[in-house]
Amino acid sequence: MDYLLHLVVFVLIYGMVALSLNVASGFTQLISLAQAGFFGVGAYTSAILATQYGWPLWVDLPLGMMVAGVVALPVALVALRTVEDYFIICTMGMGVILFSVMNNWMELTRGPMGIPGIPAVSLFGHPLMEKWEWVLLAGLFYALVFWVAYNFKRSALGRILVGISEDEIFCQSLGKNVGLAKLQSFVLGAMLAAVPGALYAHYVSYIDPTSFTIHESIFVLSIIIVGGMGNLWGSLAAAAFMILVPEALRFVGLPSGVAANVRQMLYGAALILVIWLQQTKRSYP
Amino acid sequence: MTQLLINALTSACLSLLISVSFWLIYATTRTFYITHAATITLGAYSCYWLTRQWGMPFPIAVLISIVVVATTFSAIDKVLFRGLRSAPFGWVGLVASIGLYVVLQNLISLRFGDETQVLHTTPIMEGQQIGDAFVSNSQILIVIISTFLFAGVVFLLENTKLGRAIRGVASNPDMCILLGIDKNLVIGWAIAIGSGLAATGGILSGLDSDINPMMGFRLLLNSVVVMIIGGASGIRCLPLAAIFLALAQHTTAYYLDAKWMDAVAFIILIVYLIWKPLGLGGRHFKKIEI
Repeated sequence: MDYLLHLVVFVLIYGMVALSLNVASGFTQLISLAQAGFFGVGAYTSAILATQYGWPLWVDLPLGMMVAGVVALPVALVALRTVEDYFIICTMGMGVILFSVMNNWMELTRGPMGIPGIPAVSLFGHPLMEKWEWVLLAGLFYALVFWVAYNFKRSALGRILVGISEDEIFCQSLGKNVGLAKLQSFVLGAMLAAVPGALYAHYVSYIDPTSFTIHESIFVLSIIIVGGMGNLWGSLAAAAFMILVPEALRFVGLPSGVAANVRQMLYGAALILVIWLQQTKRSYP
Repeated sequence: MTQLLINALTSACLSLLISVSFWLIYATTRTFYITHAATITLGAYSCYWLTRQWGMPFPIAVLISIVVVATTFSAIDKVLFRGLRSAPFGWVGLVASIGLYVVLQNLISLRFGDETQVLHTTPIMEGQQIGDAFVSNSQILIVIISTFLFAGVVFLLENTKLGRAIRGVASNPDMCILLGIDKNLVIGWAIAIGSGLAATGGILSGLDSDINPMMGFRLLLNSVVVMIIGGASGIRCLPLAAIFLALAQHTTAYYLDAKWMDAVAFIILIVYLIWKPLGLGGRHFKKIEI
Protein backbone atom coordinates (compact mmCIF):
# COMPACT_ATOMS: atom_id res chain seq x y z
CA MET A 1 0.00 0.00 0.00
CA ASP A 2 2.83 2.37 0.90
CA TYR A 3 4.37 1.57 -2.45
CA LEU A 4 1.19 2.56 -4.27
CA LEU A 5 0.99 5.83 -2.33
CA HIS A 6 4.64 6.46 -3.17
CA LEU A 7 3.79 6.08 -6.86
CA VAL A 8 0.87 8.47 -6.46
CA VAL A 9 3.24 11.10 -5.03
CA PHE A 10 5.54 10.62 -8.00
CA VAL A 11 2.67 10.90 -10.47
CA LEU A 12 1.59 14.15 -8.80
CA ILE A 13 5.14 15.56 -8.83
CA TYR A 14 5.76 14.73 -12.48
CA GLY A 15 2.22 15.82 -13.28
CA MET A 16 3.15 19.24 -11.89
CA VAL A 17 6.31 19.36 -14.03
CA ALA A 18 4.19 18.47 -17.06
CA LEU A 19 1.72 21.24 -16.16
CA SER A 20 4.56 23.74 -15.94
CA LEU A 21 5.86 22.64 -19.34
CA ASN A 22 2.32 23.01 -20.65
CA VAL A 23 2.30 26.61 -19.42
CA ALA A 24 5.74 27.26 -20.95
CA SER A 25 5.20 25.62 -24.31
CA GLY A 26 1.88 23.80 -24.58
CA PHE A 27 -0.05 26.86 -25.73
CA THR A 28 2.55 28.49 -27.96
CA GLN A 29 3.84 25.21 -29.43
CA LEU A 30 7.38 26.42 -28.70
CA ILE A 31 8.80 23.29 -27.14
CA SER A 32 11.30 23.80 -24.35
CA LEU A 33 13.82 21.11 -23.38
CA ALA A 34 15.13 23.10 -20.40
CA GLN A 35 12.25 22.19 -18.10
CA ALA A 36 14.12 19.49 -16.18
CA GLY A 37 16.81 22.12 -15.62
CA PHE A 38 14.33 24.49 -13.94
CA PHE A 39 12.88 21.56 -11.99
CA GLY A 40 16.46 20.96 -10.84
CA VAL A 41 17.02 24.63 -9.97
CA GLY A 42 13.96 24.49 -7.69
CA ALA A 43 15.12 21.22 -6.13
CA TYR A 44 18.69 22.41 -5.56
CA THR A 45 17.68 25.80 -4.17
CA SER A 46 15.38 24.31 -1.58
CA ALA A 47 17.79 21.44 -0.79
CA ILE A 48 20.68 23.83 -0.17
CA LEU A 49 18.57 26.23 1.88
CA ALA A 50 17.12 23.37 3.93
CA THR A 51 20.40 21.57 4.66
CA GLN A 52 22.67 24.62 5.11
CA TYR A 53 20.31 26.99 6.92
CA GLY A 54 17.54 24.66 8.09
CA TRP A 55 14.80 26.66 6.42
CA PRO A 56 11.40 24.93 6.09
CA LEU A 57 9.59 24.15 2.85
CA TRP A 58 7.25 27.12 3.25
CA VAL A 59 10.22 29.50 2.91
CA ASP A 60 12.48 27.69 0.48
CA LEU A 61 9.76 26.78 -2.02
CA PRO A 62 8.92 30.42 -2.90
CA LEU A 63 12.65 31.23 -2.92
CA GLY A 64 13.22 28.30 -5.29
CA MET A 65 10.51 29.67 -7.55
CA MET A 66 12.16 33.07 -7.54
CA VAL A 67 15.60 31.65 -8.36
CA ALA A 68 14.12 29.58 -11.19
CA GLY A 69 12.38 32.68 -12.53
CA VAL A 70 15.59 34.72 -12.34
CA VAL A 71 17.50 31.97 -14.18
CA ALA A 72 14.73 31.61 -16.77
CA LEU A 73 14.58 35.30 -17.66
CA PRO A 74 17.91 35.60 -19.55
CA VAL A 75 17.33 32.12 -20.99
CA ALA A 76 14.00 33.25 -22.39
CA LEU A 77 15.41 36.54 -23.68
CA VAL A 78 17.98 34.65 -25.74
CA ALA A 79 15.96 31.60 -26.75
CA LEU A 80 12.86 33.54 -27.81
CA ARG A 81 14.86 35.28 -30.54
CA THR A 82 14.62 31.98 -32.41
CA VAL A 83 11.65 29.92 -33.58
CA GLU A 84 10.65 26.30 -34.11
CA ASP A 85 13.53 23.83 -34.11
CA TYR A 86 16.19 26.42 -33.34
CA PHE A 87 14.23 27.25 -30.19
CA ILE A 88 14.28 23.59 -29.17
CA ILE A 89 18.02 23.31 -29.77
CA CYS A 90 18.59 26.54 -27.85
CA THR A 91 16.58 25.40 -24.81
CA MET A 92 18.29 22.03 -25.03
CA GLY A 93 21.57 23.90 -24.78
CA MET A 94 20.29 25.72 -21.70
CA GLY A 95 19.35 22.34 -20.23
CA VAL A 96 22.87 21.06 -20.85
CA ILE A 97 24.40 24.20 -19.30
CA LEU A 98 22.18 23.96 -16.19
CA PHE A 99 23.08 20.28 -15.83
CA SER A 100 26.79 21.11 -16.21
CA VAL A 101 26.52 23.68 -13.45
CA MET A 102 24.73 21.25 -11.11
CA ASN A 103 27.22 18.52 -11.94
CA ASN A 104 30.42 20.59 -11.79
CA TRP A 105 30.01 23.44 -9.31
CA MET A 106 31.39 21.37 -6.44
CA GLU A 107 31.34 24.12 -3.77
CA LEU A 108 27.63 24.78 -4.12
CA THR A 109 26.00 21.55 -5.26
CA ARG A 110 28.58 18.90 -4.26
CA GLY A 111 28.55 17.78 -7.92
CA PRO A 112 27.84 14.12 -8.71
CA MET A 113 27.84 13.23 -4.99
CA GLY A 114 24.50 14.98 -4.60
CA ILE A 115 22.96 16.48 -1.47
CA PRO A 116 21.87 13.93 1.15
CA GLY A 117 19.83 14.39 4.32
CA ILE A 118 17.27 16.95 3.22
CA PRO A 119 14.89 17.23 6.20
CA ALA A 120 11.25 16.16 5.96
CA VAL A 121 8.53 18.78 5.75
CA SER A 122 6.95 19.59 9.10
CA LEU A 123 3.48 20.99 9.52
CA PHE A 124 2.71 22.74 12.84
CA GLY A 125 5.67 20.97 14.43
CA HIS A 126 4.54 17.57 13.20
CA PRO A 127 6.96 16.07 10.61
CA LEU A 128 5.26 14.44 7.64
CA MET A 129 6.55 10.88 7.64
CA GLU A 130 3.56 8.86 6.46
CA LYS A 131 3.03 8.36 2.74
CA TRP A 132 -0.63 9.37 2.84
CA GLU A 133 0.30 12.71 4.36
CA TRP A 134 2.64 13.27 1.43
CA VAL A 135 -0.12 12.35 -1.02
CA LEU A 136 -2.29 15.06 0.58
CA LEU A 137 0.54 17.63 0.49
CA ALA A 138 1.46 16.88 -3.13
CA GLY A 139 -2.24 16.84 -4.04
CA LEU A 140 -2.66 20.27 -2.46
CA PHE A 141 0.23 21.70 -4.43
CA TYR A 142 -0.99 19.96 -7.57
CA ALA A 143 -4.35 21.62 -7.16
CA LEU A 144 -2.67 25.01 -6.69
CA VAL A 145 -0.46 24.62 -9.79
CA PHE A 146 -3.42 23.32 -11.76
CA TRP A 147 -5.51 26.32 -10.68
CA VAL A 148 -2.77 28.70 -11.81
CA ALA A 149 -2.33 26.91 -15.14
CA TYR A 150 -6.09 26.69 -15.73
CA ASN A 151 -6.66 30.38 -15.12
CA PHE A 152 -3.58 31.23 -17.13
CA LYS A 153 -5.02 29.33 -20.08
CA ARG A 154 -8.34 31.20 -19.80
CA SER A 155 -6.76 34.62 -19.28
CA ALA A 156 -6.24 37.20 -22.02
CA LEU A 157 -2.55 36.27 -22.04
CA GLY A 158 -3.34 32.59 -22.56
CA ARG A 159 -5.54 33.42 -25.52
CA ILE A 160 -2.72 35.46 -27.07
CA LEU A 161 -0.45 32.42 -26.66
CA VAL A 162 -2.90 30.15 -28.47
CA GLY A 163 -3.08 32.83 -31.15
CA ILE A 164 0.72 32.78 -31.46
CA SER A 165 0.68 29.05 -32.06
CA GLU A 166 -1.73 29.54 -34.93
CA ASP A 167 -0.31 32.63 -36.61
CA GLU A 168 2.28 34.74 -34.88
CA ILE A 169 2.49 37.55 -37.41
CA PHE A 170 -1.28 37.95 -37.62
CA CYS A 171 -1.40 38.06 -33.82
CA GLN A 172 1.18 40.81 -33.88
CA SER A 173 -0.81 42.75 -36.45
CA LEU A 174 -3.74 42.86 -34.01
CA GLY A 175 -1.55 44.90 -31.69
CA LYS A 176 -0.71 42.14 -29.24
CA ASN A 177 2.73 42.20 -27.66
CA VAL A 178 3.83 38.78 -28.89
CA GLY A 179 7.35 38.85 -27.49
CA LEU A 180 6.25 39.86 -24.01
CA ALA A 181 3.54 37.17 -23.95
CA LYS A 182 6.03 34.46 -24.87
CA LEU A 183 8.50 35.77 -22.28
CA GLN A 184 5.87 35.77 -19.54
CA SER A 185 4.68 32.25 -20.29
CA PHE A 186 8.23 30.90 -20.39
CA VAL A 187 9.22 32.47 -17.08
CA LEU A 188 5.95 31.47 -15.40
CA GLY A 189 6.48 27.89 -16.63
CA ALA A 190 9.98 27.84 -15.15
CA MET A 191 8.71 29.18 -11.81
CA LEU A 192 5.96 26.56 -11.67
CA ALA A 193 8.54 23.85 -12.42
CA ALA A 194 10.38 24.85 -9.23
CA VAL A 195 7.36 23.89 -7.09
CA PRO A 196 7.55 20.14 -7.80
CA GLY A 197 11.35 20.53 -7.61
CA ALA A 198 11.22 21.65 -3.98
CA LEU A 199 8.65 18.96 -3.12
CA TYR A 200 10.79 16.32 -4.83
CA ALA A 201 13.89 17.34 -2.85
CA HIS A 202 12.04 17.18 0.47
CA TYR A 203 10.24 13.96 -0.40
CA VAL A 204 13.18 11.90 -1.69
CA SER A 205 15.57 13.60 0.82
CA TYR A 206 18.53 13.00 -1.51
CA ILE A 207 19.10 14.69 -4.88
CA ASP A 208 21.86 14.39 -7.46
CA PRO A 209 22.23 15.89 -10.96
CA THR A 210 21.21 12.69 -12.79
CA SER A 211 17.55 13.44 -11.96
CA PHE A 212 17.71 16.62 -14.03
CA THR A 213 19.33 15.55 -17.31
CA ILE A 214 18.14 16.23 -20.82
CA HIS A 215 16.56 12.77 -20.81
CA GLU A 216 14.33 13.88 -17.96
CA SER A 217 13.24 16.85 -20.09
CA ILE A 218 12.44 14.45 -22.91
CA PHE A 219 10.43 12.35 -20.47
CA VAL A 220 8.36 15.37 -19.41
CA LEU A 221 7.94 16.34 -23.06
CA SER A 222 6.65 12.88 -23.86
CA ILE A 223 4.12 13.25 -21.01
CA ILE A 224 2.65 16.43 -22.46
CA ILE A 225 2.68 15.09 -26.00
CA VAL A 226 0.92 11.89 -25.00
CA GLY A 227 -1.52 13.95 -22.92
CA GLY A 228 -2.03 16.47 -25.69
CA MET A 229 -0.27 19.82 -26.03
CA GLY A 230 -2.05 22.44 -23.95
CA ASN A 231 -4.46 19.92 -22.49
CA LEU A 232 -4.24 20.25 -18.69
CA TRP A 233 -6.29 17.20 -17.66
CA GLY A 234 -4.48 15.15 -20.28
CA SER A 235 -1.14 15.88 -18.56
CA LEU A 236 -2.26 14.18 -15.34
CA ALA A 237 -3.59 11.12 -17.14
CA ALA A 238 -0.46 10.88 -19.26
CA ALA A 239 1.82 11.31 -16.23
CA ALA A 240 -0.01 8.47 -14.49
CA PHE A 241 0.25 6.32 -17.61
CA MET A 242 3.94 7.03 -18.26
CA ILE A 243 4.97 6.36 -14.66
CA LEU A 244 2.70 3.45 -13.78
CA VAL A 245 3.24 1.34 -16.91
CA PRO A 246 7.03 1.01 -16.44
CA GLU A 247 6.43 0.26 -12.74
CA ALA A 248 4.12 -2.56 -13.76
CA LEU A 249 7.04 -4.07 -15.66
CA ARG A 250 8.76 -4.63 -12.33
CA PHE A 251 6.17 -7.24 -11.45
CA VAL A 252 6.78 -9.11 -14.69
CA GLY A 253 10.23 -9.84 -13.29
CA LEU A 254 12.56 -7.64 -15.34
CA PRO A 255 15.92 -7.08 -13.64
CA SER A 256 16.38 -3.46 -12.54
CA GLY A 257 19.26 -2.80 -14.95
CA VAL A 258 17.09 -3.76 -17.91
CA ALA A 259 14.01 -2.02 -16.49
CA ALA A 260 15.60 1.45 -16.76
CA ASN A 261 16.29 0.91 -20.46
CA VAL A 262 12.86 -0.57 -21.10
CA ARG A 263 11.26 2.42 -19.36
CA GLN A 264 13.11 4.87 -21.61
CA MET A 265 12.27 2.80 -24.68
CA LEU A 266 8.60 2.86 -23.73
CA TYR A 267 8.44 6.62 -23.56
CA GLY A 268 10.45 7.02 -26.74
CA ALA A 269 8.07 4.66 -28.50
CA ALA A 270 5.04 6.46 -27.04
CA LEU A 271 6.43 9.73 -28.39
CA ILE A 272 6.79 8.39 -31.94
CA LEU A 273 3.49 6.53 -31.89
CA VAL A 274 1.39 9.46 -30.66
CA ILE A 275 2.97 11.94 -33.07
CA TRP A 276 2.66 9.53 -35.95
CA LEU A 277 -0.99 8.77 -35.27
CA GLN A 278 -1.80 12.46 -34.79
CA GLN A 279 -0.11 13.63 -37.94
CA THR A 280 -1.08 10.93 -40.39
CA LYS A 281 -4.70 10.91 -39.23
CA ARG A 282 -5.35 14.30 -40.78
CA SER A 283 -4.09 15.21 -44.19
CA TYR A 284 -2.62 18.62 -44.85
CA PRO A 285 -2.62 20.06 -48.34
CA MET B 1 50.59 23.88 -26.52
CA THR B 2 51.31 21.82 -29.64
CA GLN B 3 49.35 19.01 -28.04
CA LEU B 4 46.39 21.32 -27.56
CA LEU B 5 46.45 22.33 -31.22
CA ILE B 6 46.69 18.70 -32.35
CA ASN B 7 43.79 17.59 -30.16
CA ALA B 8 41.71 20.56 -31.29
CA LEU B 9 42.43 19.76 -34.94
CA THR B 10 41.36 16.15 -34.46
CA SER B 11 38.09 17.02 -32.78
CA ALA B 12 37.47 19.77 -35.34
CA CYS B 13 37.82 17.26 -38.17
CA LEU B 14 35.50 14.81 -36.46
CA SER B 15 32.79 17.39 -35.82
CA LEU B 16 33.25 18.74 -39.35
CA LEU B 17 32.54 15.28 -40.76
CA ILE B 18 29.46 14.81 -38.60
CA SER B 19 28.13 18.31 -39.10
CA VAL B 20 28.37 17.95 -42.88
CA SER B 21 26.49 14.66 -42.67
CA PHE B 22 23.88 16.34 -40.45
CA TRP B 23 23.64 19.27 -42.87
CA LEU B 24 22.86 16.94 -45.80
CA ILE B 25 19.82 15.67 -43.92
CA TYR B 26 18.79 18.98 -42.34
CA ALA B 27 18.96 20.95 -45.56
CA THR B 28 16.91 18.52 -47.61
CA THR B 29 14.28 17.42 -45.06
CA ARG B 30 14.14 20.66 -43.01
CA THR B 31 14.03 18.49 -39.91
CA PHE B 32 16.41 18.66 -36.97
CA TYR B 33 17.22 14.98 -37.12
CA ILE B 34 18.28 13.98 -33.58
CA THR B 35 18.18 10.29 -34.54
CA HIS B 36 21.50 11.07 -36.18
CA ALA B 37 23.12 10.53 -32.75
CA ALA B 38 21.89 6.93 -32.83
CA THR B 39 23.23 6.58 -36.38
CA ILE B 40 26.71 7.51 -35.17
CA THR B 41 26.56 5.08 -32.26
CA LEU B 42 25.07 2.32 -34.37
CA GLY B 43 27.85 2.63 -36.94
CA ALA B 44 30.51 2.15 -34.28
CA TYR B 45 28.65 -0.69 -32.56
CA SER B 46 27.88 -2.63 -35.73
CA CYS B 47 31.57 -2.45 -36.61
CA TYR B 48 32.40 -3.68 -33.09
CA TRP B 49 29.86 -6.49 -33.37
CA LEU B 50 31.07 -7.65 -36.78
CA THR B 51 34.72 -7.76 -35.75
CA ARG B 52 34.19 -9.38 -32.34
CA GLN B 53 31.24 -11.69 -32.88
CA TRP B 54 31.85 -12.69 -36.48
CA GLY B 55 35.62 -12.32 -36.58
CA MET B 56 35.61 -10.22 -39.74
CA PRO B 57 38.71 -8.30 -40.75
CA PHE B 58 38.43 -4.66 -39.75
CA PRO B 59 38.19 -2.94 -43.20
CA ILE B 60 35.42 -5.27 -44.40
CA ALA B 61 33.49 -4.75 -41.18
CA VAL B 62 33.76 -0.99 -41.63
CA LEU B 63 32.42 -1.17 -45.18
CA ILE B 64 29.56 -3.48 -44.27
CA SER B 65 28.48 -1.38 -41.29
CA ILE B 66 28.51 1.85 -43.31
CA VAL B 67 26.39 0.34 -46.07
CA VAL B 68 23.98 -1.35 -43.65
CA VAL B 69 23.51 1.78 -41.54
CA ALA B 70 22.99 3.96 -44.63
CA THR B 71 20.29 1.71 -46.10
CA THR B 72 18.60 1.11 -42.74
CA PHE B 73 18.17 4.79 -41.96
CA SER B 74 17.06 5.61 -45.48
CA ALA B 75 14.35 2.95 -45.11
CA ILE B 76 13.36 4.17 -41.63
CA ASP B 77 12.95 7.68 -43.00
CA LYS B 78 10.73 6.45 -45.80
CA VAL B 79 8.46 4.52 -43.43
CA LEU B 80 8.38 6.85 -40.44
CA PHE B 81 9.29 10.44 -41.24
CA ARG B 82 7.96 11.00 -44.75
CA GLY B 83 4.40 11.31 -43.47
CA LEU B 84 5.43 13.86 -40.85
CA ARG B 85 7.03 16.40 -43.19
CA SER B 86 3.81 18.16 -44.08
CA ALA B 87 2.94 18.75 -40.41
CA PRO B 88 1.91 22.30 -39.50
CA PHE B 89 4.37 22.77 -36.62
CA GLY B 90 8.13 22.73 -37.03
CA TRP B 91 8.72 20.66 -33.91
CA VAL B 92 6.90 17.53 -35.06
CA GLY B 93 9.75 15.93 -37.00
CA LEU B 94 12.29 16.90 -34.36
CA VAL B 95 10.32 15.41 -31.47
CA ALA B 96 9.59 12.22 -33.41
CA SER B 97 13.31 11.89 -34.17
CA ILE B 98 14.09 12.38 -30.45
CA GLY B 99 11.69 9.50 -29.72
CA LEU B 100 13.40 7.25 -32.26
CA TYR B 101 16.80 8.22 -30.86
CA VAL B 102 15.75 7.26 -27.33
CA VAL B 103 14.45 3.88 -28.52
CA LEU B 104 17.57 3.05 -30.58
CA GLN B 105 20.03 4.22 -27.93
CA ASN B 106 18.37 2.04 -25.30
CA LEU B 107 18.28 -0.94 -27.67
CA ILE B 108 22.05 -0.57 -28.04
CA SER B 109 22.42 -0.28 -24.24
CA LEU B 110 20.35 -3.44 -23.75
CA ARG B 111 22.31 -5.45 -26.31
CA PHE B 112 25.86 -4.32 -25.52
CA GLY B 113 25.63 -2.87 -22.01
CA ASP B 114 26.29 0.67 -20.82
CA GLU B 115 30.01 0.10 -20.28
CA THR B 116 32.73 1.52 -22.48
CA GLN B 117 34.01 -0.97 -25.05
CA VAL B 118 37.24 -1.04 -27.03
CA LEU B 119 36.75 -0.87 -30.78
CA HIS B 120 40.22 -1.24 -32.27
CA THR B 121 41.58 -4.76 -32.70
CA THR B 122 45.28 -4.01 -33.04
CA PRO B 123 47.37 -3.01 -30.02
CA ILE B 124 47.79 0.74 -29.51
CA MET B 125 50.93 2.14 -31.13
CA GLU B 126 52.95 4.81 -29.47
CA GLY B 127 52.38 7.22 -32.34
CA GLN B 128 54.54 9.95 -33.74
CA GLN B 129 56.24 12.64 -31.76
CA ILE B 130 56.09 16.24 -32.98
CA GLY B 131 58.08 18.54 -30.74
CA ASP B 132 56.84 17.81 -27.24
CA ALA B 133 53.49 16.44 -28.39
CA PHE B 134 52.31 12.97 -29.36
CA VAL B 135 50.06 12.17 -32.30
CA SER B 136 48.41 8.78 -32.27
CA ASN B 137 47.79 6.91 -35.51
CA SER B 138 44.03 7.13 -35.05
CA GLN B 139 44.27 10.93 -34.85
CA ILE B 140 46.15 11.02 -38.16
CA LEU B 141 43.50 8.70 -39.62
CA ILE B 142 40.70 10.99 -38.41
CA VAL B 143 42.26 14.09 -39.93
CA ILE B 144 42.99 12.48 -43.30
CA ILE B 145 39.68 10.65 -43.74
CA SER B 146 37.52 13.55 -42.53
CA THR B 147 39.21 16.06 -44.81
CA PHE B 148 38.97 13.64 -47.72
CA LEU B 149 35.28 12.94 -47.13
CA PHE B 150 34.47 16.64 -46.69
CA ALA B 151 36.18 17.39 -49.98
CA GLY B 152 34.19 14.52 -51.46
CA VAL B 153 30.90 16.03 -50.30
CA VAL B 154 31.86 19.43 -51.68
CA PHE B 155 32.72 17.79 -55.01
CA LEU B 156 29.43 15.88 -54.96
CA LEU B 157 27.40 19.02 -54.33
CA GLU B 158 29.21 21.12 -56.93
CA ASN B 159 29.81 18.77 -59.80
CA THR B 160 27.31 15.94 -59.98
CA LYS B 161 23.67 15.72 -60.98
CA LEU B 162 22.66 14.29 -57.61
CA GLY B 163 24.55 17.05 -55.79
CA ARG B 164 22.82 19.76 -57.77
CA ALA B 165 19.48 18.09 -57.06
CA ILE B 166 20.31 18.05 -53.33
CA ARG B 167 21.16 21.75 -53.39
CA GLY B 168 17.98 22.40 -55.32
CA VAL B 169 15.81 20.60 -52.79
CA ALA B 170 17.65 22.45 -50.03
CA SER B 171 16.91 25.85 -51.47
CA ASN B 172 13.41 25.40 -52.88
CA PRO B 173 11.59 22.06 -52.63
CA ASP B 174 8.43 23.19 -54.44
CA MET B 175 10.33 24.51 -57.43
CA CYS B 176 12.17 21.19 -57.67
CA ILE B 177 8.90 19.33 -58.09
CA LEU B 178 7.96 21.69 -60.92
CA LEU B 179 11.28 21.02 -62.62
CA GLY B 180 10.75 17.26 -62.47
CA ILE B 181 13.18 16.41 -59.68
CA ASP B 182 11.89 13.53 -57.57
CA LYS B 183 12.11 15.18 -54.15
CA ASN B 184 11.64 12.01 -52.12
CA LEU B 185 14.31 10.17 -54.09
CA VAL B 186 16.78 13.01 -53.53
CA ILE B 187 15.96 13.08 -49.80
CA GLY B 188 16.44 9.31 -49.65
CA TRP B 189 19.90 9.66 -51.20
CA ALA B 190 20.82 12.57 -48.94
CA ILE B 191 19.85 10.54 -45.87
CA ALA B 192 21.75 7.49 -47.10
CA ILE B 193 24.92 9.55 -47.73
CA GLY B 194 24.52 11.46 -44.47
CA SER B 195 24.00 8.29 -42.44
CA GLY B 196 26.98 6.63 -44.09
CA LEU B 197 29.18 9.61 -43.25
CA ALA B 198 27.87 9.64 -39.68
CA ALA B 199 28.63 5.93 -39.28
CA THR B 200 32.17 6.62 -40.53
CA GLY B 201 32.45 9.42 -37.97
CA GLY B 202 31.28 7.06 -35.23
CA ILE B 203 33.83 4.42 -36.17
CA LEU B 204 36.64 7.00 -36.35
CA SER B 205 35.69 8.42 -32.97
CA GLY B 206 35.52 4.89 -31.57
CA LEU B 207 39.05 4.19 -32.78
CA ASP B 208 40.29 7.29 -31.03
CA SER B 209 38.41 7.18 -27.74
CA ASP B 210 36.48 3.88 -27.43
CA ILE B 211 32.74 3.44 -27.68
CA ASN B 212 29.73 3.65 -25.37
CA PRO B 213 26.00 4.05 -26.06
CA MET B 214 26.06 7.78 -25.25
CA MET B 215 28.92 8.69 -27.60
CA GLY B 216 26.68 9.72 -30.50
CA PHE B 217 24.75 12.34 -28.55
CA ARG B 218 27.84 14.26 -27.43
CA LEU B 219 29.31 14.19 -30.93
CA LEU B 220 26.02 15.35 -32.39
CA LEU B 221 25.65 18.26 -29.92
CA ASN B 222 29.02 19.65 -30.99
CA SER B 223 28.21 19.18 -34.65
CA VAL B 224 24.83 20.87 -34.34
CA VAL B 225 26.54 23.88 -32.79
CA VAL B 226 29.11 23.83 -35.61
CA MET B 227 26.33 23.72 -38.18
CA ILE B 228 24.42 26.61 -36.64
CA ILE B 229 27.40 28.91 -36.15
CA GLY B 230 28.66 27.96 -39.61
CA GLY B 231 25.35 29.13 -41.02
CA ALA B 232 22.95 26.41 -42.06
CA SER B 233 22.51 27.77 -45.55
CA GLY B 234 25.66 26.21 -46.99
CA ILE B 235 28.65 24.09 -46.06
CA ARG B 236 31.45 26.46 -47.10
CA CYS B 237 31.91 27.94 -43.64
CA LEU B 238 31.67 24.68 -41.70
CA PRO B 239 35.47 24.05 -41.49
CA LEU B 240 36.00 27.51 -40.02
CA ALA B 241 33.23 27.00 -37.46
CA ALA B 242 34.51 23.52 -36.55
CA ILE B 243 38.04 24.78 -35.92
CA PHE B 244 36.78 27.76 -33.93
CA LEU B 245 34.58 25.61 -31.69
CA ALA B 246 37.24 22.95 -31.15
CA LEU B 247 39.87 25.56 -30.27
CA ALA B 248 37.52 27.22 -27.78
CA GLN B 249 36.62 23.89 -26.18
CA HIS B 250 40.17 22.62 -25.91
CA THR B 251 41.47 25.91 -24.56
CA THR B 252 38.78 25.72 -21.86
CA ALA B 253 39.72 22.12 -21.11
CA TYR B 254 43.36 23.16 -20.84
CA TYR B 255 42.96 26.19 -18.60
CA LEU B 256 39.80 25.29 -16.65
CA ASP B 257 38.59 21.72 -16.78
CA ALA B 258 37.45 19.22 -19.42
CA LYS B 259 34.08 18.89 -17.69
CA TRP B 260 32.96 22.32 -18.96
CA MET B 261 33.40 21.42 -22.66
CA ASP B 262 29.70 20.72 -23.35
CA ALA B 263 28.64 23.93 -21.64
CA VAL B 264 31.20 25.96 -23.62
CA ALA B 265 29.77 24.71 -26.91
CA PHE B 266 26.33 26.00 -26.00
CA ILE B 267 27.56 29.25 -24.51
CA ILE B 268 29.27 29.93 -27.84
CA LEU B 269 26.03 29.05 -29.63
CA ILE B 270 24.08 31.50 -27.48
CA VAL B 271 26.60 34.31 -27.93
CA TYR B 272 26.37 33.67 -31.65
CA LEU B 273 22.61 33.81 -31.70
CA ILE B 274 22.72 37.18 -29.95
CA TRP B 275 25.55 38.72 -31.89
CA LYS B 276 25.41 37.23 -35.36
CA PRO B 277 22.17 35.28 -35.69
CA LEU B 278 22.71 34.27 -39.30
CA GLY B 279 25.95 32.39 -38.65
CA LEU B 280 29.34 32.78 -40.30
CA GLY B 281 27.83 32.15 -43.72
CA GLY B 282 25.77 35.27 -43.14
CA ARG B 283 23.03 34.46 -45.60
CA HIS B 284 19.37 35.09 -44.89
CA PHE B 285 17.85 32.21 -42.99
CA LYS B 286 14.23 31.76 -42.07
CA LYS B 287 14.51 30.38 -38.54
CA ILE B 288 15.61 33.56 -36.81
CA GLU B 289 13.47 36.40 -37.95
CA ILE B 290 10.70 37.51 -35.67
